[in-house]
This record gives sequence, C-alpha cells and structure tokens, in this order.
Amino acid sequence: MKEQDTINPSSLRQALAAKARPNLVVVAGGTDILVQLHDRVDRPWPKLLVLDGIKALGKITLHDDFVTIGPNVTFSEIESSPIIGKYAPQLAQAASVAGSVQIRNRATIGGNVANASPAGDLIPPLYVLGATLELLSVRTKRSMPIEKFFVGPGKTVLKSNELITAIRISKVKRIGFFLRLGTRQALAISKVSVAAALMIKSGIILDVKIALGAVAPTVIRAGVAEELLRGNRLDAKLIDHAAEAASKEARPIDDIRSVAAYRKEMVGILLKRGLTKILESM
Amino acid sequence: MVTTDVAVKFTLNGIPMERDVPPNWTLLRFLRDGLGFTGTKCGCEIGECGACTVIFNGEAVNACLVLAPQIDGASIWTIEGVASSGRKLHPIQQAFVECDAVHCGFCSPGMVMSTVALLLHNRIPSNAVLKESLAGNLCRCTGYLQIIEAVRKAAESMDDMHLEKFRR
Ligand SMILES: Cc1cc2nc3c(=O)[nH]c(=O)nc-3n(C[C@H](O)[C@H](O)[C@H](O)COP(=O)(O)OP(=O)(O)OC[C@H]3O[C@@H](n4cnc5c(N)ncnc54)[C@H](O)[C@@H]3O)c2cc1C
Repeated sequence: MKEQDTINPSSLRQALAAKARPNLVVVAGGTDILVQLHDRVDRPWPKLLVLDGIKALGKITLHDDFVTIGPNVTFSEIESSPIIGKYAPQLAQAASVAGSVQIRNRATIGGNVANASPAGDLIPPLYVLGATLELLSVRTKRSMPIEKFFVGPGKTVLKSNELITAIRISKVKRIGFFLRLGTRQALAISKVSVAAALMIKSGIILDVKIALGAVAPTVIRAGVAEELLRGNRLDAKLIDHAAEAASKEARPIDDIRSVAAYRKEMVGILLKRGLTKILESM
Repeated sequence: MVTTDVAVKFTLNGIPMERDVPPNWTLLRFLRDGLGFTGTKCGCEIGECGACTVIFNGEAVNACLVLAPQIDGASIWTIEGVASSGRKLHPIQQAFVECDAVHCGFCSPGMVMSTVALLLHNRIPSNAVLKESLAGNLCRCTGYLQIIEAVRKAAESMDDMHLEKFRR
C-alpha cells in the first residue's frame, strides 16, 4: 500500500501527538532529509512531520543563567543573533561558514544535531559550550548533555516518539573559536573542524574545552590537549604541545572527502591557529 | 492506496494563490510541473548549484530543498516576477545583459534571484559580501567576473523602489 501524507502541525502538542505514531520522518529545514529522499521521489514516500510551522520552536530566548535556542532556529538566524554573538561566538562562526546563503536560510540547528553527522558544523561549538538538549515525547521529558546524544554517524539516542525541543547553553562568558577546512569555502562539508572555549584569567587558562569534528564516528572532545592546557599559562610552547596532543587524539578515516593522515595533521594546525590568535590578542 | 494532496495558500510573484500540492513534491517541481513556471531551473536538485534559487519570505532559498507543503503562508518570488511588466527588464536583469553576464543562461535566473536577495539586505555590499552571497550559485560557463560586475553595476545604479515589491 502506497501511503503519502504530510502532517503540518502549528503547535508542539500536535507535533508530539503525531510523533507517537511509528515511521514518521521529521522535516525541519529539509536540507538533509530532502537530499536523502531525493532518489525516492517517485517511489513510496514516508509520512512526513513538518516542523517549520511551529513558531514556538524557532526562537532564541535569554534566561537568567542560560540561553535557549529552539530547534527550528536557522543558521542565518544564529549568524545574525546578538545574543548568540555574545554568549556563543563559536556557534555564530560555524553557522556563518556552513553551506551557502540559500542553505543557511533553511538549515536548522535541530536538524544539524539530529542528523548526527560527525561533520555537522554546529556540533563542535555546542560541545565546547556545554550545551544541553531537551527531548520531549507526548509523555516524557528528558535533558542530556549533547555529548551523550550521539552514538555513531547518523545514530543518536533519540527515541522514535521524541523530538528535540530545545538546546540550552550557559551564559558563562568564554572566549573561543571555530575553524574548519573544506574543499572550497562555500558549499563544502568539513574535512576537519576544531572548536574551543576557554576561560583565561591573567594569562592562566582556568578552564578549556576543545571539540574535533569529522575525525571520529561522532564529534569528540580532545581531553588530553585540554588537560595539558588547563591551569597553565598560554604561550607558544604550550600551544605546540596541545596541538600535537589533539592531533594524536583524532581517530579519522579515509573517505570521499579527505584522508586520515591529512585530517590528523590539520587538527593540530587548526588548534594552533585558533590558540595563537587568542594569545596574540591578549 | 491513499494519496492526499496538501492544501496550501501562498503568494507567487505578488499574486495570491490556493492549490493542492502532492506531499512529496518539492517547490521546484511544483513551480515547473504544477504551475508551468519553468524560469526556475532544475540543476542538481540537492542544493549545490543554486539554479533553482527563489525568494522565499524575503530570503534566497533553493526551491529543490523546500517541500511544496511547506509553502503554506509564504510569499515567493521567481524570475518570472522580477521584471514589472511588458518588455522592460528589471535593472538587475538589464545590468546582467549590459555586462555580458549571461553566457549559456542556465544559471542566470538563480543568479538574478540571489542578487535580489543580497540587495534587499545590503544595498552597498563589499566585494567579499557580494562574492559570498553568490557562492551558492554555480556558473558552468565560469562567467563569474562579468556576473560580479553586473551585480555591482545594479547595486550602484538601481533605485530602491525596484526592490520594494520583493519585501512583500
Ligand atoms: C548543499 C548543502 C550544503 C551543506 N553544507 C553544510 C555545512 O557546511 N555544514 C553543515 O554542518 N551542514 C551542511 N549541510 C547539511 C545540512 O544543511 C545541515 O545538517 C542542516 O543543519 C540540517 O538542518 P535541516 O533543518 O535542514 O534538517 P532536516 O533535513 O529537516 O532534518 C535533518 C534530520 O534531523 C531530523 N530532525 C530535524 N529537526 C528535528 C527535531 N526538532 N527533533 C528531532 N529530529 C529532528 C530529521 O528527521 C532529519 O533526520 C549542507 C547541506 C546541503 C544540501
């Protein structure tokens, strides 16, 4: 039986009720899912649950201690939001270099997270910002650190009746960066990316988080490099050590976009570039 | 067998419309096969080439990556709506002609729509912004220099009133 249907709810409640049914494919901006479904256009299609009519999921909200980003917020909105620019500059940077204008106007943060690509550009910034995901079903509500969400490429712990309904980041101010390499600047999926968030006082690194994209089955933290940096004075020699450590922590593969050896080396180069820029600005 | 079309209301080139659309059609397919608006070109169908760029609620998007049911409530502008009426080209189109920015012409509708979106947001774009705004539009004749020249010319010579309608 060929069944074609599209559910276009205007409220989250309706969407969650619909999601309780099995075999429903969620569409936000559609920039991943429509590419994945492209070859099936004239064959049986899954039932689609279209989220972009739910206005409540498309907002960036400032709270006392944290910022909430709705899953439907687009890359363009992240790029131009003064709130994100202030509390999550890494995220704004990543949103501004991904895809093209056309893609950024449609692609959403929720789609980027749920698609679970190790090369998803918003994910490393969310790791270093310590983001928390809110997952809702008709009856349940749970929160988890973003690092617990991913199982492998395209695989997450999201249950079939759940939606990502919010992404939260703390308002603690940190400096940081997002850097990536692709075949060209626009419209190229990252071969490798590095995000970092640091708290530095009088030259000493009080806290640091580093995340690496496209060099493992999921985005990963560079724990050894972080450990080297934490508690120490940022200088050129320390940067070299940390870059070398991060390079070793990367576990990339050869694939259509790049080769493992290059990716490993570039992890160190990107981390060095970012940290050196911070050192120079101090 | 169940095939339920989805009822959508939208505005196309300033004209309000109501239609039933197949749930698995993209906006691109709907424009071309459903409405006969073939000015929006079908290139890669995966968001890479920009030939299908249209203005969707004031922003440039790839029509191949919008589902037809998602256009409910939207305002859409395609290349057919750019020139106001009759034979007179829009100043952006005129600039493309004068700068020889049209070679085979396949990318031109998308290039023009990306230019409209750029100038809606930024009337005096820097060269860097200009190039970035067109980075999602590929020209296989590689006429990029002339295209950039045309966009610059349009930006400099055009009156604001030529952009007003796209805001609606
Ligand atoms: C030409 C092109 C260039 C691209 N360039 C980049 C790039 O440079 N960097 C990058 O990171 N990505 C890139 N992408 C990939 C894509 O644009 C992003 O991953 C984007 O963030 C996906 O968001 P979306 O809203 O379009 O997702 P959709 O396609 O709508 O959905 C993606 C997945 O997430 C699920 N989903 C969406 N919202 C939710 C939710 N709230 N709860 C649960 N599940 C949900 C969907 O079911 C689907 O599985 C590119 C894509 C294209 C076509």
